[in-house]
Amino acid sequence: MIGAALAIARVKLVLEIRRREVIFAMLLFIAATIVIVHFALSGDTGAGNRAAAGMLWAAIVFTAVLGLLRTFAAEHEGGVLDALLLAPIDRAAIWLGTALAQFGFLVVIELVAVPVWWALFFQGDGPSVGTVVLALLLADIGIALVGTLSAALALGARTRDVLLPVLVLPLLIPVILGGVTATYGAFGEDVGGLRPLGFLALYDLVFIALAWGTSEHLLGD
Amino acid sequence: MPANRHLTTTVPLVLSFLLIPLTIAMAFLWTGEDADQGLSQKIFYFHVPIALTSYVAFGFGAVCAAMYLWKRTEAWDMRSYVGIHSGTIFGTLVLITGPIWAKASWGVWWNWGDRQLNVFLILFLYYCAYFMLRFSLDDGERRRAASAIFALLGIGLIPMSFLAVRIAQTLIHPTVFTAGGASMPNSFLLTFVVGLAGMLSLMVLLISVELRGKRTAARVLQLQRVQRGEDA
Amino acid sequence: MQPPEITLVECSKRFGDRLALRKATLSIAAGETVVLLGPNGAGKSTLLRLVAGLLRPTAGSARIGDVEAIAAPKAVRAGIAYAGHAPQLYRGLTARENLDLHLRLHTTTADTGALLERVGLGDRADERIDGFSRGMLQRLALARATAHAPVLLLLDEPASGLDADGRALLDDTLRAAIGTRTQVVASHDHELAARLGVREVRLDNGGIA
Repeated sequence: MIGAALAIARVKLVLEIRRREVIFAMLLFIAATIVIVHFALSGDTGAGNRAAAGMLWAAIVFTAVLGLLRTFAAEHEGGVLDALLLAPIDRAAIWLGTALAQFGFLVVIELVAVPVWWALFFQGDGPSVGTVVLALLLADIGIALVGTLSAALALGARTRDVLLPVLVLPLLIPVILGGVTATYGAFGEDVGGLRPLGFLALYDLVFIALAWGTSEHLLGD
Repeated sequence: MPANRHLTTTVPLVLSFLLIPLTIAMAFLWTGEDADQGLSQKIFYFHVPIALTSYVAFGFGAVCAAMYLWKRTEAWDMRSYVGIHSGTIFGTLVLITGPIWAKASWGVWWNWGDRQLNVFLILFLYYCAYFMLRFSLDDGERRRAASAIFALLGIGLIPMSFLAVRIAQTLIHPTVFTAGGASMPNSFLLTFVVGLAGMLSLMVLLISVELRGKRTAARVLQLQRVQRGEDA
Repeated sequence: MQPPEITLVECSKRFGDRLALRKATLSIAAGETVVLLGPNGAGKSTLLRLVAGLLRPTAGSARIGDVEAIAAPKAVRAGIAYAGHAPQLYRGLTARENLDLHLRLHTTTADTGALLERVGLGDRADERIDGFSRGMLQRLALARATAHAPVLLLLDEPASGLDADGRALLDDTLRAAIGTRTQVVASHDHELAARLGVREVRLDNGGIA
């Protein structure tokens, strides 16, 4: 199960590393989103920590959705999905492998985007690094999980590209709320200690359970 | 069959036609005026039962979705869809009655501090996406399975939205307005319960009427196929 | 693993308003090879996908041995090979990487070099397949379908795009497994069944003629 998922994740990462376009597109997109949101808030860097936190999380979620549009594209093109469905593996491995790859992309994007965000908005006295990194990792798990699940559901839809953001964004609102609140905490505001981080972990667990329970029905006819 | 039909249609029809006017009468003639909010508090007897009914309908839709994935018969898919459809109708009413209440109480149409209202906003977006998903897939096994799985995700999303809104809110809005609470006078509570029963009857009525329409349409389609000699 | 028998009982499949397969009843003995013939849209691909367990019958049943194909457990799926119209290969990977992944998912090993050599792709093994021609992809698809030593082979128009050598290779592959592997081949080649000396089944307008 884990072996099959890792094999699938590895192939998807290899494919993206060879083509590069998607990763570069996501990097440019997240940079553009941060800049646009910044100017949309009238370019006022004094808008404060809360505005900076919101900017980061909005940019991450929209960039993730952009990346999700390509999930399963390689499988869809060559009919690989049939081969994966017929392979003697748990169907959950297909979804888990894809989610792992998606998680990998998000981490790569954030490795670039977060330092840039930091440099643009804070001179020296930024939020607590550990909390932000932990919040991002926990949120990435949830985004990758729910995103892959939605992408699988939208497979075969006539208007897949329009449909996918509509499916994913409402499901990710709790992640945004948890992530933003955790980031406020990283700025030293009182958010009830580790509660936002705990919430993000709980969200991941709930959707892992739901995805696991439905995975046999997720793909195929 | 006739006994069953009475149970799912006639009984809720009679109940909702009795209980909903009764709620109006009780709310305006029997219960006293709320000390803080005065007359505008009366909407509580509708807004909150509608919200709870909406959750019940979404829950019904999710349970039927799980049953579909287990049994794989079209009937469960239809029930799940109709449940979510009526949940969305009640959800829309929540999003209409909520702002009316907010306007009367706080002078603004939308209060981002109202937890219930914010959760409904998330759920409204989510269940609208359910309909988009359903209608972008061609009729068949795949559409039914995808709809069922998406409906089941709601089971996770509803509590997660509540928690998320609560976590974010302790910070943004330190004072939280709670409707009713444990210290409701008996007359308030009884009116509320009658209102809830009325709304639930209306929901059962809506679901069973829509289901009957869907079943008839499916039967007509099937007869047309038999006529074409396809009989499958 | 023993080759399974295939049983379709009044099996129908509907896509929207179109009935792609209507009440097909067919049994294929264990180890038997059958050629499916019929015009485009006759229901050959649908039948193969139902047998593979990639489609769920609208009515009736399609069984592999004594299990419903759609609910085939992993142990049964391990013995199935299906090659459809799409090559079922990752376009950004090399021929060898594609076979490696396939073997990995089947938790089995085989000499990928020899497999590729056999289908005439020995010298292209480490090229990415997005540069491959239709015939080369078809050869690689054949190598993939037989790599894990399946006991049930389902091929959908495997000869399309193949040159004379490729078709001979296909015939040999099918002939060599008659009796030891259940094989169902959808084809437009009216002589194939005669060449192999096996039964042919005609489909027309979604029904078995």
